[in-house]
Amino acid sequence: MKNYILGRLVRSIISIFLVVTIAILMVYTLVPRDNVFQNDQMLSKLASKPDEKVRYKYNAWERLGYLEFVDQREMCESASDNVSACMIVNSPESLAVKAEYEAKGWTVESFQQSGLLYAHKDKSVFSLVTTWFGRLIKVDNPWAITDSGNPNLERKIYLGSDHNGVPALKCSGCENKYLIYFDGSFPFIHQNIISLNFGISYPTFNGREVGAVITEGQGNPKQSQVKFETGQTISSPVNLHKCKYKSAATMDSMDQKKFVDNYANCANNLSDPSMVVMSFIFGVLGLIISYGIGLPAGILMASQKDKLADKIGIVYINFMIAVPSLAFIYFAKFLGNSAGLPEKFPTFGAHDIRSYILPTIILGLMSTASLMIWIRRYMIDQSSADYVKFARAKGLSQREIFVKHILRNAIIPIVNGIPSSIILTISGAVITETVFAIPGMGKMLPDAITGFNNPMIIALTFIFTTLSILSLLLGDILVTFVDPRIQLEAKGGSR
Amino acid sequence: MSEKEVVLSARDIVVQFRVRERTLTAIRNVSLDLYEGETLAIVGESGSGKSVLTKTFTGMLEQNGSIPNGQIYFEGNNLLDIKNDKEWENIRGKKIATVFQDPMTSLNPIRSIGSQITEVIEKHQGKSAQEAKDIAIDLMERVGIYNAANRFDEYPFQYSGGMRQRIVIAIALACRPKILICDEPTTALDVTIQAQIVQLIKDLQKEYGFTTVYITHDLGVVANVADKVAVMYAGQIVEYGTVEELFYDPKHPYTWALLSSLPQLGTKGEDLYAITGTPPSLFDKVIGDAFAPRNPYAMKIDFEEEPPFFQISPTHKAKTWLLDPRAPKVNPPKAIDHLHERLTAMISKGGGYHG
Repeated sequence: MKNYILGRLVRSIISIFLVVTIAILMVYTLVPRDNVFQNDQMLSKLASKPDEKVRYKYNAWERLGYLEFVDQREMCESASDNVSACMIVNSPESLAVKAEYEAKGWTVESFQQSGLLYAHKDKSVFSLVTTWFGRLIKVDNPWAITDSGNPNLERKIYLGSDHNGVPALKCSGCENKYLIYFDGSFPFIHQNIISLNFGISYPTFNGREVGAVITEGQGNPKQSQVKFETGQTISSPVNLHKCKYKSAATMDSMDQKKFVDNYANCANNLSDPSMVVMSFIFGVLGLIISYGIGLPAGILMASQKDKLADKIGIVYINFMIAVPSLAFIYFAKFLGNSAGLPEKFPTFGAHDIRSYILPTIILGLMSTASLMIWIRRYMIDQSSADYVKFARAKGLSQREIFVKHILRNAIIPIVNGIPSSIILTISGAVITETVFAIPGMGKMLPDAITGFNNPMIIALTFIFTTLSILSLLLGDILVTFVDPRIQLEAKGGSR
Repeated sequence: MSEKEVVLSARDIVVQFRVRERTLTAIRNVSLDLYEGETLAIVGESGSGKSVLTKTFTGMLEQNGSIPNGQIYFEGNNLLDIKNDKEWENIRGKKIATVFQDPMTSLNPIRSIGSQITEVIEKHQGKSAQEAKDIAIDLMERVGIYNAANRFDEYPFQYSGGMRQRIVIAIALACRPKILICDEPTTALDVTIQAQIVQLIKDLQKEYGFTTVYITHDLGVVANVADKVAVMYAGQIVEYGTVEELFYDPKHPYTWALLSSLPQLGTKGEDLYAITGTPPSLFDKVIGDAFAPRNPYAMKIDFEEEPPFFQISPTHKAKTWLLDPRAPKVNPPKAIDHLHERLTAMISKGGGYHG
C-alpha cells in the first residue's frame, strides 16, 4: 500500500508538471502578448509619452516573465567602464554596448523621443517552465532577510509564545515572525514555513501575490483591541500572527511604538473570508444538503422500487435534469426572494445567515438528482445479487438485508466520489456564485482568462489539477476502508 | 420407511406467475411429503418447477408469483397462511434453510465470513456476539475449514469456491434447521469438490438429523445421496419413489427418457440420447399428459385426459396412463437396465460425476 501510494504520488506530480507546462505553453506562446494590456488604463494615460509607454509595457512583460528588459543605464552599468559617457546617445561607448548586447542575442532598440537605447530578450519556454517551478515552493528560513539597515539581525528559530501567551514557533531572520502558531480559526494550527509562490497578479488584482488574492480575507479591515509587544493597546485591524519583516529604513516611529523588532509589516484581519474559503463554505453546505437529501431519497426509491415514492422520485429527477440549471437557479431564487431572502450575497454580507440559505439550497438541490439516480441504481443492482437472495433465505428481515448487505455494497462507488466532491468545492460554482454575486472562486478562472491574467491562469490550473488528482487518490484510499477486496498494491498482484 | 414422521406436507400446490400481462402456471397441483431425516431429490429439466416448488416452503417466490391454491403443513401450521415477512423470518434460516447454486455469489463480498455466520445465530438464537462467534468457529470447523479461528475475519474473496460453499452450508445449518433445501448445490463447483460437498452434507445430515431436499440435474448425486426421488415435468411430479425403485424400475416414460439421456450411459461413437421436442408452454392450459407430445409411447388418451397417480408400491407411484390395466404392455428402453448399480459403481470409482 505504501509503495502504491508513493507511486501514485510520483505519477501525480508528473501529471501536474505536464498540465502546468501545457498551460504555460498555451498562455505564453499562443496568446498575443499585447492582449495583457487590453484592460489596462495606464496605457491610455501614457499615450502622450511614448517612451514611458514602451518602458511600461516592457516592464510589465518582464514581470510576467515573457522577456528580460534593460534600459541604457542598466546596459552601461553592466557592460561599460565609463557609465556617464555611455549614457550619451550615439556615443562610441553606447554603440559598443549596443554591439555587445546584440552579440549576446538581445534585440536593441532606441526610445522614440530620448533616443536612448533599451534591449530585450525573449525567454524560452523551457526557462519559463523552470522559472515557474523553481520559485513555486518557498521555504522560509532565518537567512531569508538581508537588510543593510539592520546588520545585527539575529538568525534563529526558537520556541516562544505569541501575544496571547500561546506557544508558537518563532523566527528571527525569516520573512515571517511566526513559523507555526495556533489561533481560533480553522484548522487552528497554522504555518508560515512553506508557501507557494505563484508570482504577482497582473493586470487584474494588480500587484498582489496570486496566492494571496485567493487565500487572503476579503472585505473591510476588522478592528479589535490589540495589545502590541511594547505594551501599547489600541484598536487596530492587524493580525499579529501575520507579521513580516519590515526593513529598518521603512520603520517609522509609529511602528517603533508598537513593535520591539522589525516584524512590523502585519496583515490585517478582514471582515469576510477569502475566495477559497467562501467557495468552500458554500460548497460544503451545498454538499451536506445534497447528500442529506439525495442519499436517503435514493435509498428510499430503491427500497420502494416501482411504488409511489419511487415514481415521485423519478419525476423529481427528470425535472431536475430537464430544467436548465440557470432556469432552476432563477426559479428557486424567485421563490426564495418572495420568502424574504436576499437577492444577492452582498445585500446582507458574509455575516448574516440569510445570505447563505438560498445559494446553498440551490447548490445542494442541483446535485441531488444525479446522486439519487446513482444510489438508486447501485442499490437496485445489488438487490438482485445472489447474496441478497441468500440473506433472505437466512431469515434476515428486509431492513437488515437493506442496511447490512445492500447499502454497504451500494455505497462503495459513492464513497469513492466523496473526497473529490468536498475538495473540489474549492474551485467554486460558477453559475450560482455569479447569480448571487458571491465573492468566491467560481469566476476566478474565466475572469483570469478574459482578463489575460497569465499568472492567475497558471496558478489556478496548478491548484485545480493538484486538487483533482489528490482527491482521486484520496477517494481510492477511502474505498479500501469500505471494500476489503480493494487493496492498493504497487504491482498488479494475483487478481 | 413409512414409520418416519412427516415434517412437511405440501398439498395441491398451485403456483402462478404474472409475466407480461399473462399468467404462467409453474406448479400444477403438486402434493409432496417430506419425512424426518430423509433425503428427497427433485429431478427434472430446467423450467420444470423444481426450484419454484421449494421456494414455496420458505415464502421466497418472486414478487410476481402467487399461490392461489394449496396448503403446506409444517409443525402444525399451514405455511401458506403466513402473510407477512416477519413470520416467515421465523421459518427461513431457522427451521428451513436453503443453499443456493453459486457459492461465488451467495456470500456478501465485502463482509467478513465470520460476521455472515454470526448474524444468523444472533438473529435466530438470540446469542451474544461472543457466543455467536464461538458457535460460528465450531461450525466452520465442522464443515471442514481448517484454522477456523484465524479465518473467521477473512473475506469471501480469500476463500476458494469449495470453501465458500462449505461456509454457505455452515450458515444454512447454523440454526439447526429441520429442513435443508439444496438448490443445485454443486453445479457451480468442479467435479472433485462436488463429491466433497455432497459427502459433507451427507455427514452433517447424519449428525444433525435434518431432512434434505436436493434440487439437481445430477442423477449421480441422486443415486449417491437420495432416499426418495421426485421426477418433475412441466410443473407436476410425474413419478415418485425410493431411489432404488426409480432407478431399477422406473415407470413413467419421462423418467425413462431422462435416465436414457444420461451422458455416462452413452456408448462411444454413438449419438447421445436426447428427448425430442420441447416442454409445453405453461402459459396455456395443459390438456392430457403434458409429456404426451414428446412421448414415443403416447396413446390417444394421453392427449385427452390427465393421468392420475397409479400406485406401484407403497412408496412408488407414477402419473402415466401406461400403468392403467387397459394399457398395452411396454418395456422401458434397454439403455437404463440396472442403472442404479452402474451409477453407484461409477461414483465409488472416481469421485463424483455430473449429468
